[in-house]
Amino acid sequence: MRVKFVLAVSLQLLVLLGIIAYRAHWVATGHRVVLRTTPVDPRDVFRGDYVDLRYEISFLKPAQLGTKERFARGDRVYVGLELAEDGTCRASSLSKTRPAEGRFIQGRVVDTVDSSRCEILLREDSGLLRTLLVSSACPGLKKGSRTTLCTREDGTVLHYTTPERPVGRECARGKQLVGIIEDLKVQGGQSLHVDYGIESYFVEEGKGRAIESSRNARDLRVEVSLREDGKGIITALRMGERELK
Amino acid sequence: MKGTKKRNELLEALEGETARWVAEGIIEPAQRERILLRYSSLMEAQERGGPGQLVTTISIMGSVLVGVGIVLFVASNWSLIPKGLKLAIVLFAMLASYGAGYYLRYERGNYPKVGASLILLGALIFGAGMFLVAQIYHISAHYPNGPLLWGLVILPLAYLLRLQALMALAIVDLLIWLALEAHWHLPPHGLFSYLALTPLFLTAGVVLWGLGLMHREYPPLRGIGGPYVAIGCLVTLATGFILTFDPLRLAPRFGVVYSFCLGATVLFIPSVVARLLLKERQRWSGAECLGLFLIVVVVLMSYRRGYYPPLRENSKLIFNLLFALEIVGVVALGYVRRYAVYVNLGLLFFGLFLLARYFDLFWDLLPRSFFFIVGGLLLLLGGIFLERHRRRILSKLALQEARE
Repeated sequence: MRVKFVLAVSLQLLVLLGIIAYRAHWVATGHRVVLRTTPVDPRDVFRGDYVDLRYEISFLKPAQLGTKERFARGDRVYVGLELAEDGTCRASSLSKTRPAEGRFIQGRVVDTVDSSRCEILLREDSGLLRTLLVSSACPGLKKGSRTTLCTREDGTVLHYTTPERPVGRECARGKQLVGIIEDLKVQGGQSLHVDYGIESYFVEEGKGRAIESSRNARDLRVEVSLREDGKGIITALRMGERELK
Repeated sequence: MKGTKKRNELLEALEGETARWVAEGIIEPAQRERILLRYSSLMEAQERGGPGQLVTTISIMGSVLVGVGIVLFVASNWSLIPKGLKLAIVLFAMLASYGAGYYLRYERGNYPKVGASLILLGALIFGAGMFLVAQIYHISAHYPNGPLLWGLVILPLAYLLRLQALMALAIVDLLIWLALEAHWHLPPHGLFSYLALTPLFLTAGVVLWGLGLMHREYPPLRGIGGPYVAIGCLVTLATGFILTFDPLRLAPRFGVVYSFCLGATVLFIPSVVARLLLKERQRWSGAECLGLFLIVVVVLMSYRRGYYPPLRENSKLIFNLLFALEIVGVVALGYVRRYAVYVNLGLLFFGLFLLARYFDLFWDLLPRSFFFIVGGLLLLLGGIFLERHRRRILSKLALQEARE
């Protein structure tokens, strides 16, 4: 009994020491980068305060980073980092696949907002050309594909069929059009909210709000240690030259 | 000791008195025997539930307070205490608590309840230690992993020592993990997204209940089945009660809820099979398993939009009928199996159910003053009636137990 008890308690001790050793090794051996950050809504929690941090790289527009990939909530993403003049890092690329080289950080998409608009030039079976608007990036449609669309009188599309889904819903509230897509232009794009696992910084009780309301809060920088696979861990929070604890 | 002496004196006096009643023809000898049996078993039960329970409760409260105190001490002196010292304080406190608890409960054996509470304190400090490490390294990624790891790591200790409080802590940790993990996977959908967790928690409650029954029927695990059954029964009845308000008509449909329910059901099926393989089963165990399974099926079918329209259209009526059957079943099983926890929980939710339906039916029909007066009187009288009924059932159970 005593041996089993010691083993069960040792398991708990090993778990705690294992987490500590793993994180300490990560901090000691990771590649250091500095990110500009802003504190958001520090909250009093049971164990003290923490500052909720947001980074410039927390909100990304794939189109601005030169990628045409579509992203969904929960996707793992790799954000390429480039050094700016002030010594902090900014996003330079975005991809779902791990970059072969360069500095990058790994994150997960927690929310997406799609402001895409798509303009379709449709040649109906009667030969008539029509310009129609779709309030998405027209997933599943491409030039030359045949489609059946349900449209409003003002030319906006309610829903449509694709080669993969040739049978569509009934067009009860609009007008049904059938034809070939002559041209297709996508405007706008996705906006992503990405979490990197470095969004909380724990401080002593009562200090969270002080940091948030500080005049220098705009000059807040976080030092992050990056693992080889791009996962980050916070090693320091600095306001100007001062390290906050 | 003082209590036992007092009980023996009272019983001796009662024996003398009842012997005179028999001699005078007031009661039959068989009746005398029943009276003596009743008082003997009731006093024994009172003694068992008296100071011992008080010691356990106070010890557990003390453990929780000490645990909270250690955490707050570290949090309040965050920048003064070096990182290594913070960890050393927590690790030392955890080991000291486990060591002292084991010594008092198993080595010396003179303070078993205090020892059990100190072991519980060790498990609480272990959890606090995990969150402390997360704080020191500013870990915010996937926070549901915290309670999951906590629950899973203390589970072996709970099974080894057969400590019910430790098992209850592990189960609560795992339920917290379930809520956080499921919510993590739900798409943002405002406050209504929380309603989608109701069928999930009902399934979790049924699974815990099933696992608890399996534990109770296997002699080596019997001592540890209580928290499974009690928490499972409580969660099932609480979610069943919430469903009587028909919240699923407002809940968004998320496929991920089914994935979690399926995972939970995978745990339920082996527990049913394990029970059915037993040669000596408890009475009505087949009907109980079938009932629990049907509850999950009906609720999940109602959650799925358009799967079976009549179920959706009459969902409020169906959930109310289902809940009424749950209560009747639980109280009946409690009586047949002599499980006081079934009787207590069944009657508690019966009272809540009546109160909720009273509000539903009469809120618009009666003038407000009349509504509250009648409602208050019903509560008072209903409370007295239910409490008397509960006591009567529990004393019958105690009497039956004493006879055997």
